[in-house]
Amino acid sequence: MTQAAVLARRRERLPFSHDERRAWLFLAPVATTLLVVAVFPIVYSLYISFWSIKLTRPHRQPFVGLDNYAQLLADPEFWHAVGRTTSFTVMAVTAICVIGLAVALLLNETFPGRKALQALLLVPWAIPYVANGLMWKWIYDSSYGALNGLLFQLDFIDKYMVWLGDANKTLPLIANAFVWKEVPLAALLLLVTLKSIPADLYAAARVDGAGALQRFLHVTLPALRPGFMLVIIYETMTAIRHFDLFFILTEGGPGDASHVLSWRIYVETFRNLSFGTGAAMSYILAIVTFALAYGVIRALGRNVR
Amino acid sequence: MSASSLSRRAVLKSAAALAASAAAPGAVFAQSGGPLAFATWSAAVDQVKSHLAAFEKATGLKVDYSNSPWAQYREAMITKFVGKAPVDVLWVSDSWLPEFADAGWLAPVDGYKTLTAYNADTDAFSVDSMMHKGKQYGITYYTDFMGFIYNEDMLQKAGIAAPPTTWAEVVEMSKTIKAKGLSEYPMLLSMAQESWLIEFMAALVYSHGGRFTDDKGAAAMQSAEGGAVAALQWIIDAVQKHKIVSPACVETGELAGLKAFGAGQHAFGLIPKYRLRTLNDPAQSQIAGKAQIALMPKGGPKGTHATVGWMRFYGMTPRAAADPARAEAAVKLMEWFGGKANGEYTFQKMLFKDVGAGFGVKSLFQDPEMRAAYAKYGDIKVIEAQTALAKKKDVIAPWFGEWNDVNGAAWQQAIGGKITAEEALKRSAAKWDQLKKQG
Repeated sequence: MTQAAVLARRRERLPFSHDERRAWLFLAPVATTLLVVAVFPIVYSLYISFWSIKLTRPHRQPFVGLDNYAQLLADPEFWHAVGRTTSFTVMAVTAICVIGLAVALLLNETFPGRKALQALLLVPWAIPYVANGLMWKWIYDSSYGALNGLLFQLDFIDKYMVWLGDANKTLPLIANAFVWKEVPLAALLLLVTLKSIPADLYAAARVDGAGALQRFLHVTLPALRPGFMLVIIYETMTAIRHFDLFFILTEGGPGDASHVLSWRIYVETFRNLSFGTGAAMSYILAIVTFALAYGVIRALGRNVR
Repeated sequence: MSASSLSRRAVLKSAAALAASAAAPGAVFAQSGGPLAFATWSAAVDQVKSHLAAFEKATGLKVDYSNSPWAQYREAMITKFVGKAPVDVLWVSDSWLPEFADAGWLAPVDGYKTLTAYNADTDAFSVDSMMHKGKQYGITYYTDFMGFIYNEDMLQKAGIAAPPTTWAEVVEMSKTIKAKGLSEYPMLLSMAQESWLIEFMAALVYSHGGRFTDDKGAAAMQSAEGGAVAALQWIIDAVQKHKIVSPACVETGELAGLKAFGAGQHAFGLIPKYRLRTLNDPAQSQIAGKAQIALMPKGGPKGTHATVGWMRFYGMTPRAAADPARAEAAVKLMEWFGGKANGEYTFQKMLFKDVGAGFGVKSLFQDPEMRAAYAKYGDIKVIEAQTALAKKKDVIAPWFGEWNDVNGAAWQQAIGGKITAEEALKRSAAKWDQLKKQG
C-alpha cells in the first residue's frame, strides 16, 4: 500500500474532516469558557441542593437527598411567598401590557413631537434598576417624598401618608416602580408588531363597514398576538425573578409584606448562608418560570408564524 | 574603601539588626509567614490607619489592613473563613461570637496574659460579652448602649420640667407635646428591618422587666408576664392608639431616625448613646446643645431603668494562634488597639474624641481629659449610671441571625396591626425553640 493510500485511509477513519476539526478548535475556547462559567455552576448548584450546606456549620453538612425540596414545599411561609410573587407578577404584567399597548398605539399615530416622545420613552428603560429603586424610595418616602408633596399640594391628602410602611400598599407600590421601568420595552415591542400589520387588512375592514373599535378588536388585537407573547413571556420571567426593587425599597418589609420568592432565596442563601435550601428554592423558581413560559407559548403561540 | 572598614560596617549592621529584633521579638518570626492580616468593618478608617502606621513604626511588624461595609461584614468574614483566606486579627460583634467560636473561626485568648490582664480594668458587661462557653475570645474595641435621648428645648416649650421616668409618662408628655403642635410624632422609634432593630427591641423589653430567653436559653418572650409582650404592646398602642409614634417607624432605619431627631422633629427617641455627640454638634444637628440623655424609662410594674448594651472586640483566628510567633505578633496588635499603646489607651481615647464611640475601660471614666470631652455633650453621671444598667442581649446564639429575621418581621407585623403582640411573640418564640433544637 502506498503512503498516500495509508494517509487517505487514516483520514477516513477520523470522525471529523479537517475543516470540522479546525472549527472545533476555534470553538473550543468559547465552549470551555461556557462550561466553566455557565454549565458547571448550574450543575453544581443542583448538586448542592441535595446537601444540607450551611456555611456557619462547616463541620456538619450531610447529604439530604430531596429533603430540602420536601421541607420547602411543606413550609407555609414558602407558599405565602409564592402567593406574593404571583400577586406581584399578575399586577405588574397586566399593567405593563395595558399601558404598553396604549403607548404603542399612541406612537403608531402621526403627530408633531412623536420622535422626541419615542426617544424620551427610552429613558426609564435605560436607568439601572438600582438607580430606579433609589429614585422611587425618595418618591415614596413618608416624610419628604415627592408623592406626598404632590398629593398634599393638590389637596388630595391633609397630612403626609405612609406608603411603603403600610403592608397593604407595599406590593402595588413596588409593582408600580417595576411597571414604570418596563413599560418602554413592552411599548417598543408592541409598536414594532403594530408597524408590521398590513394596511390592506384595515382597508378591507373599512370596506366591510367596520368602525374604529371593531377594527381594533378584530384586526389590531389579533395581529398583536406575537408581540404580546414576547412581552408576556419576558415580563413574567422578569417579574417572577425580580429582586432589586424589593431589596432597595423595603428589604422584604414591613413585616413579611414583600417576602417574595427572590427575597427568600436571598435571605436563605446570603443571610442565613444556607446554600442547600437556597439552591433548592432557586431550582423551584427556575422550574416554575420555565413552566409558565411554556404555558404562555402554548396558549398564545398557536397560529403565530 | 578598606576591607577592615567594610567588615566593621557589616558588624555594625548585624548588631543593629539584632538590637531591632530584640526590641520587637515578634517581628522577625511573624513576617516570615507574611504580614499580619487585620480585618475590620468600614468604621473609623482614618483613625485605624493612623494608629496602624504608629504600630508598624513602633514594632517593625507589617500589617495588611482590609475593611468591608458593616452591613456585609459578617457574611464577608464567613466567606473568608470558609475559603481559608488569610485573617489573623479581626473586629467581632458580640452577636456573632457563638457562631464564630463554635465554627472554629476564633481562637480563645485565655492563654495570653498580656490581653487578659486588661480584664481588671474592663467593665464586667464587656468582659462577659467576650466570653463563650467559659473561654475569653478577645479584647475590647468599643462598647455602647441604647440611650433614651430627649430634646430639652421641646420639653421646655411644652412646659415639661423633667424628662419622663416611665413609659406611661412618655405617653402623657408626648400627648401634651402633640397637642401643643410641637411635634406630629413626639416619640422616635426606628423599627426598620436592619441590624439595629434587635437593639431597639431589647432596650424596650429590658426596661419593661422582660427578657427574650430564660436562664436555660429557652424562649421566654411569649410569656404574658415576661415583659416582652408588654413592650411590644406599648409600641402598638403608641402607633395605633396614641399616635405618638409614626406608623412609618417600620421603614425608618437608625440613621434616618437620627437625622429626623437632629432636625428637631421629635421630643424623645431611642438612640445609640454615642450619637449624642452628633446630635450636639452644630455642624451636624439643628438641636445642638439641646439633646440630653435620661435613664431608660421604666415600663409596667416590673419595669427597670435597664437598657441593652453591645460590645465589639478584637478577636484572633486559629491561623494566628497556631503559630507562636504569629500569635505573639497578633497579641501585640490587639493590645496596641484594644489595650494600651505607649502606656495609655490611645486608640480608645481617639475613638471617643473623634467619633464618640463608648469604651469599656473603667479607668477612662476617671480620666480628666475624657470627662471634659463628655461634659461637652452629655451628662456623665447619667451615662455612668446607664452604663452600669446595660445588659447583654440574651438572644446571642449561633442561630441568632436566622431567628432575628423572623422576630423582626413578627414585630413589624404587630406594629402594622396585622397580628397581635401575643401572636407575634408566640411566632418568634416558636422559631427560637425550633432553631435551638436544630442546634
